[in-house]
Amino acid sequence: MKTVVTSGKSGAFSAVHPAAAMVYFLAVLLISMFCFHPVLQVEMLVGAALFCITLQKRGEALREIGFYLPLFLMVAVTNPLFSHNGVTPLFFLNGNPVTLEALLYGVSLAVSVIGVLLWCKCCGRVMTEDKFLYLFGKLIPKLSLILSMALRFVPVYLRQSRRVIRARKAMGLFSGKGITDRVKNRMRVFVAMISWSLEHAMETSASMRARGYGQKGRTNFSLFRFSPADGVLLCGCVFLLAVVWIGRAAGFAAFSYYPRTGGIGAAPADLAVYAAFGLLSLLPFLLEVKEVIVWSCCVSKI
Amino acid sequence: MKKDILAVFGIVLILAVLINGTHIQSVDEYYLTHIDDITPESETVTLSIRCDAVLQHYDELDPALRSEEFVPPDGVILPPTKYVLREGDTVFQILDRAVRSNRIQMEFQGAEENPFGSVYIQGIHYLYEFSCGPLSGWMYRVDGEFPHYGCSRYKLHDGQNIEWIYTCDLGQDAGALWMGGEE
Amino acid sequence: MELLRVEDLSFRYPNAGRNALDGIDLTVQNGEFVLLCGPSGCGKTTLLQMLKKELAPAGEKTGRIFYAGAPQEDSADAGEIGFVRQDPESQIVTDKVWHELAFGLENMGVPTDTIRRRVGEMAGFFGIEGWFRQKTDELSGGQKQLLNLAAVLVMQPKLLILDEPTGQLDPIAAADFITTLQKINRELGLTVLLAEHRLEEIFPIVDRVLVMEDGRIRADDEPQHIAARLTAISPDHPMLRALPAAVRVWQEVRGKGECPLTVKEGRDFLHRHFTGSDAPRPEPEDPEKGDFAVELKNVWFRYEKDAPDILRGVTAKIRRGEIFCLLGGNGAGKTTALNVIAGLERAYRGKIVIKGKPIRSYQGNSLYRRNLAFLPQNPQTVFVRDTLRADLAEIPETMGIPKSEQADRIGQMANRLGIASLLERHPYDLSGGEQQKCALAKVLLSEPKILLLDEPTKGLDAFAKQGLREILRELKREGITLLLVTHDVEFAAETADRCAFLFDGEILSVDSPRRFFAGNSFYTTAASRMARGLWPDAVTCEQVVACCRAEESRTGRKTDFPAEGKL
Repeated sequence: MKTVVTSGKSGAFSAVHPAAAMVYFLAVLLISMFCFHPVLQVEMLVGAALFCITLQKRGEALREIGFYLPLFLMVAVTNPLFSHNGVTPLFFLNGNPVTLEALLYGVSLAVSVIGVLLWCKCCGRVMTEDKFLYLFGKLIPKLSLILSMALRFVPVYLRQSRRVIRARKAMGLFSGKGITDRVKNRMRVFVAMISWSLEHAMETSASMRARGYGQKGRTNFSLFRFSPADGVLLCGCVFLLAVVWIGRAAGFAAFSYYPRTGGIGAAPADLAVYAAFGLLSLLPFLLEVKEVIVWSCCVSKI
Repeated sequence: MKKDILAVFGIVLILAVLINGTHIQSVDEYYLTHIDDITPESETVTLSIRCDAVLQHYDELDPALRSEEFVPPDGVILPPTKYVLREGDTVFQILDRAVRSNRIQMEFQGAEENPFGSVYIQGIHYLYEFSCGPLSGWMYRVDGEFPHYGCSRYKLHDGQNIEWIYTCDLGQDAGALWMGGEE
Repeated sequence: MELLRVEDLSFRYPNAGRNALDGIDLTVQNGEFVLLCGPSGCGKTTLLQMLKKELAPAGEKTGRIFYAGAPQEDSADAGEIGFVRQDPESQIVTDKVWHELAFGLENMGVPTDTIRRRVGEMAGFFGIEGWFRQKTDELSGGQKQLLNLAAVLVMQPKLLILDEPTGQLDPIAAADFITTLQKINRELGLTVLLAEHRLEEIFPIVDRVLVMEDGRIRADDEPQHIAARLTAISPDHPMLRALPAAVRVWQEVRGKGECPLTVKEGRDFLHRHFTGSDAPRPEPEDPEKGDFAVELKNVWFRYEKDAPDILRGVTAKIRRGEIFCLLGGNGAGKTTALNVIAGLERAYRGKIVIKGKPIRSYQGNSLYRRNLAFLPQNPQTVFVRDTLRADLAEIPETMGIPKSEQADRIGQMANRLGIASLLERHPYDLSGGEQQKCALAKVLLSEPKILLLDEPTKGLDAFAKQGLREILRELKREGITLLLVTHDVEFAAETADRCAFLFDGEILSVDSPRRFFAGNSFYTTAASRMARGLWPDAVTCEQVVACCRAEESRTGRKTDFPAEGKL
C-alpha cells in the first residue's frame, strides 16, 4: 500500500483515455449530486477520498483535512438552523424546532458537498488541459487548433508586452506621475502590441503555409489512443450508471430524512444498486491497487 | 480559494444564527403553554386544522409522508376547538398557542424574513408547502372567507371561526377563488 | 541528380526602384549542402522564399524555377520543401511540442497512426523525447529552433531551406543546431540550402558556397576557393571580412595552396610558415584607477525569495569613457546584471553606484535623464508609434524640450546614425540592423553619459557589426561610458577596452581584451586559438595578420609559400 501513496501525481487512472475518463467522472458526479442515500453517500465519499490519496502526496492529503473538516461541520450545522422539519425536536430556537432529522440531513448535505468537491479535484488532476482540448477537438476540430494556437500565443504576447514596458521604463517614459500619463502610456504600449501581434501572426501564418496548412482533408492527431481496456472501462461505467439509475427510478435505494428518517432498504434490488455504485466509485482506486500489485509482481520476478 | 469557501460558509452560519436569534428553549419548555380557562364572560374563537385535500391527492403526496401518522384518515389534525381570545390576538397567535398546547409540529417564517411583512406558515404537522404537488400549502379562512393578508396581521374578534386548510391547488379545492396564495 | 534549377530569375517588389533579384542562375544537386551568404538586404531571403511557392512574395517575376526536373508551378506537395526561418518564436504554431511536430502531417491529411510513428521517429532522431510532452513556451531558444527544424523534417522533405536559422541563438545553441544540420545532411542525404551570417562553424562543413550581392550571385564555388574568387572581384571585397578567421588570415597574408577553413587547419598553416619568435611584449597590467562611471559592490540578486541567487556578490568597476564587455555563457546572469545596473531590478544585498551616487538616490526618472540609457536585446521593444519620427519624439517630449528644438535634435541624431532616410517609415518595417540603429538613436536622445547594451550584435551580419563598432567608438570619443553584455567573443575582442567574464553569478576575471582572451584557452576567439603558441597575445584577425607581417618584414622574407604538395 505504501507505493500507492508515493506514486505521486499521476495514478493509473490518468492513463485512461480522456473520453472514458470524462464519462466516468460525469457518471459519478451525476449520482453524487442527486442521491442522498446514506449508503451511496458513504461509498461516494470513500471512493473520492481513496482516489484523492492516490493522486497526491501524503502530506498534502493531511493538510487537506484542515480544510474539509471545518467545512463539514459548518455545512452540517447550518442546515438545522434553516430547516425545522422532523419529528424529533432537540430544542427550540426562537420558537422554531431544531430537529434531529434536520441535523442528519445537514450531515448528508455536508458529505455530498465534500464528496463532490473531492471528485471535482480528482477530475481536475486527471483531466488535464490537453485532455479537454482533445475532447473539444473531437467535437469541433477547428476549435481545438484555435485553442492550441491561443494557448501558444498568450504567453508570447505577455512576455513581449513586459519587455516593451521594461524598455520604456528604462527610457524614463513611465513617469508614474499622474493617472492620465500612466493611462496614456499603457494605451501606447497596448496599441503597439496590436501591431506587434499582427506582425507575429504574419510570421506564424507563413510558417503554417510552409507546412501545408489550408489543404483539404486535415487530420487531427493526438497522443491519446483508445485501447480495448478503455472500451471495457467505458462500457462498465455506462452499465453501472444504468443499474444505479434504473434502480433508483424504480424506487429502490430510496431514502428520506423528513419528517422521520426512513430505513435503509435491504431488498436484493437495493443491494444491487449499492454494489453497482460502490464498484463505480471505487473503480479508480481499484485500478491503482491492481497497478501496484502487477508492478510488485513484476519486480519480484526480476 | 479554499479559505474563501470556508469564509462563505462561516458567514452563512453566522447569518443563520443571527436570523434565528439565540432564544433557546428545551422541548418541554416550548410546549408548556398556558391556555386560559374558558369562563362565561371570556371572549372566544374557534380554531380547526384540516388536510382533507391531501386525501384526494394522495398519489401526489411525498412518499415519506404516506402514513396515518402524518395524514390522519379523516383529514382532521385539530378538530374545532374554542380558545380564549386575549386582547389584540391575531390568527397567528391563536394558532401558535393551539399547536403548542396540542404538541403539533409547526414551522413558520417570521414576519421580518419575508416580503409580505407577515408570518408565513410553511408547515403544520410535517405537512409542508409543496409536500403534495407544486400548488400545495396552508391557507386560512375566517368565518368562511379567505383574508387577503397574512395571519399575523389579522386581528380577531369574539366568536370568529378560524379554519386552517391544506390545499393542493392554490385554494380552489377549499373554495377560495382568488389565485393569490395561502395567507 | 539535379534537384533544383533556377534559370535567369529576376524579381522586383511592387513599387520598388530596382530588382531584388537580378538574373539568378543556380543549380543544386541532390544531397548537396549549399551555403548562401551575403550582406543583409542582398536578396538572400527573397531568393529563398521564391524557391518555396507557398512563401513566394508578390511582385514582378521573370525566369523559371525547376524543382526535380518539373517547373515549380506543377509540383504539388508542400512537404517536399521544408523551410525554417530566423525567429524561433514566431514559427511555432501550437502549444505542445508533440502537437507542433504533428502539425505539418495533420495538414497533409496523414492518418493518425502514421503520424504517431513518424513523430516518434523524429523525436528520437533529434533527442526530443525528454521534452516531448512539454509546452512549447517552456523551451529555450535553441530547443525552439530545433523543434522548428524537426517539425519541418517530419514531413520528409527532399530539400531543406533555412533562412539564418541561428541568428537569434547563443553560440552554443547555434553550434548544436549546425551540428544537427550536418548530421541530417550526412546521415539522411538531405539536400540543404542555408543562408547564414555567422560563418565560422558552417563554412568548413558545406559543399558549396554562394555569395550574393545586390540581387546577383557573385561567387559560386567550394568553400576553399571562395576567398580567391572574392579577391579576384575586388582585393578588399567587403564579404571577405565575414569569412572565418582561418580564411581571413590566409587571404590577408596572401597564402598559397589549399585554403584553411577550420581553426585546426588555420593553426597548422600558421605553424608551418611562421616561428612566432618576435612575439610582441605582453601588455602591462593595468591598475584599477581613475574615476568610475558604474561601481558594483558585492551585489546579490534573486528573482524571488525562494529562487536561487542569480548574482552572487558581483563586484566590478567600470571606468568613465571606456567600452566594457561583460561576457559569459547562457544563464550566467549577464542580462540580470545589466538589468540591475539599469535600475529595472533591485539587488537585495550590495551597492550599485552610478556616477558616484548610489542608484537608490536617483529619484523618479532622474536616472534615465542625461545619465543612463539602456538598449534592450530586442530593439523592436523600443518602438510603439507608427513612424520612427514619432517614436523618436517621445524622448525629447518627456524631457520637456521646447517643440521648436525637438525636430532639430531628432534630425541631428538621425544624421549622426545615418537613419535620416528612415524617419517616416514604420519601425517594424525596418531590417534588424536598421531597427537597432534606430533604437540606439532613441535611447541616445536622452543624452546619456552611460549606455548599457544587451546583446547588441544578435542577428547582425559582419557589416552591421562593423557599423555598430564604429558607432560605439564614436560614442566613446564623446565621453560616453559603454557597457555591453554579449556572447560574441569576436566582437568583444575587437571592440572592448576591457572584458569581464561572468560565471555562475560571479565575475571571474577582468582584463584588457588581449590579456583577457590570451588567458582563456577555450572561451576565446578563433584567431586567438589559431595563433596560440606563436603569438599568445594576438586575439583578433587583424592582430594575427599584423604579427605575420611583422615577422615577414623582420626576416626580410617575402613569404613565398610553397604549394602544399612540395612540402
